[in-house]
Amino acid sequence: MQKRKEWILNILGILFVLIFLFPVYWMIITAFKSQSEIFQSTPTFWPKDFQFTSFIDIFKDNVGQYFLNSFMIAGLATILVLVLAVPSAYGLARFKVKGKNPMILLFLVTQMLPATVILTPLFIVFNNLSLLNTYWGPVLTCATLGVPFSVLILRTFFLGIPKELEEAASIDGCGRFRTFIRVIVPISYPSIVVCAAISFFFSWGDLIFSMTFNRNQDLWPLTAGIYNAIGRYGIEWNDLMAFATVSVLPVIVIFVILQKQLVKGLVSGSIK
Amino acid sequence: MKKGRWGEYLFIYPAVIFMLLLIGYPLIYNIILSFQDVDLNSLATGDKHFVWFDNYKALADQDGFGISVWNTIVYTLGSVVFQVVIGFLLALFFSMKFKLASFLRGVVMISWLIPLTITALLYKFMMGSGEGIFNQMLMGIGFIDDPIQWLSNPDIALWSVIIANIWVGIPFNMLLLSTGLSNLPEDVYESASLDGANWFQKLFKITIPLLRPVLLVVLMLGFIYTFKVFDLVFVMTGGGPINSTEVLSTIAYRLSFNEFQFSLGAAAANILFLILLVVSVIYLYMINKDEEA
Repeated sequence: MQKRKEWILNILGILFVLIFLFPVYWMIITAFKSQSEIFQSTPTFWPKDFQFTSFIDIFKDNVGQYFLNSFMIAGLATILVLVLAVPSAYGLARFKVKGKNPMILLFLVTQMLPATVILTPLFIVFNNLSLLNTYWGPVLTCATLGVPFSVLILRTFFLGIPKELEEAASIDGCGRFRTFIRVIVPISYPSIVVCAAISFFFSWGDLIFSMTFNRNQDLWPLTAGIYNAIGRYGIEWNDLMAFATVSVLPVIVIFVILQKQLVKGLVSGSIK
Repeated sequence: MKKGRWGEYLFIYPAVIFMLLLIGYPLIYNIILSFQDVDLNSLATGDKHFVWFDNYKALADQDGFGISVWNTIVYTLGSVVFQVVIGFLLALFFSMKFKLASFLRGVVMISWLIPLTITALLYKFMMGSGEGIFNQMLMGIGFIDDPIQWLSNPDIALWSVIIANIWVGIPFNMLLLSTGLSNLPEDVYESASLDGANWFQKLFKITIPLLRPVLLVVLMLGFIYTFKVFDLVFVMTGGGPINSTEVLSTIAYRLSFNEFQFSLGAAAANILFLILLVVSVIYLYMINKDEEA
């Protein structure tokens, strides 16, 4: 009886996930179809004539450059997030500094702000600093998404580390900074990786910052490239879906590698 | 541990200063901007004079502004209610301990991680009236006779975007509620079973009351994240057809960056910000009260 229930639950669960993630399957499978097959009145759940033409098309159409831009923007933003957030989270967890609570509140509130509020002012500021049409506009603004999130997650983690570790290190003559680099960073490595991944995802998905600050197409990430392609490709869904598949690939790969830690990290970051 | 304070400041302050420069300063600038008269011409000449509430008045008369406020509310409530209910049911399902539960729960997260631009494009494709899989399937099983105009009918388009948004939001709600469920005390359920309580009684008498704090957090976070949504609407419909899916964030963007009426755009963004601020303050007050309790 128990065994049968177990079977039924597993099968129900698999069925649900298959239905829920069907759009993702549909996206990937459409990328390998021909234009005529997409417009048949009866949909095919496996391409009759499996082809790579769409992928070849989009790579002729600058997708390589978009991909590189997405990587540059998300990569630089992630590095910036870690450099700023890891020490700050540690400081807010360990040091008795005036104004600690307002600062924590600042990070909490900034997570809730709409991007639209900062767009116009930053557009004017970046224009004055000649930062429009460079990577820096989207890199700096994407980092504002990752910093508060990471500070809050990592602070919770650092609060849980026993103080004895740092005390031992300081007896051995390590200064505060060396203790941080030698002791704290290595043991919090898994949490830091989660923050890096999430910050990377945030930046990888950005459309509004790149579109606003960079009119120069050579700097566009995949998202802006896709948005633009929707108008140009019209209803060439196989090319558009190939474009989408290429854009989602890194996200899925990173997610599969880090699944367990990510789920844990997300929960502690959103509740606390 | 008696060392100069400078070291401590160096740890904490760079991130704080970064956020103040890139979020705090623009935020104040945006408020000032909304009280001035700034468009493309005055931006070039540097002539900025104060007009106080004129922009807000002009905004109220702006075509489509009223509807965008209404749409934002419908969009948010529609999304959040369904996300939370479905997320909760799934969390309950996955809380039954079977072998694949935690693996499957993790896999579902993929829909939440896909960039919104791509989700929007994907739903645009699936909701195509002729070639879209939604209509093909619904007509295939005889559920409808004529194709539904998901994105081109002004009465339906907003709900089509809501459907896409619910799909994005379900995993996150499920995850938070699953965590809440796993922290509930087991012994309460055991004694309830001894008293002969059935599944429904346990759900409504024990689970939901105990989960109330988590449910409130999930509702609030859902509200905050949905209320400011931009990419999904912008890419799926661009606010159309005829303003039927225009929301506060898209109208603010359009005013600033398509029509270059920076002050009007700033005013629209501020109204969005103001509502979010109120909700955020309530949210923070709630989690604070929770921690003290």
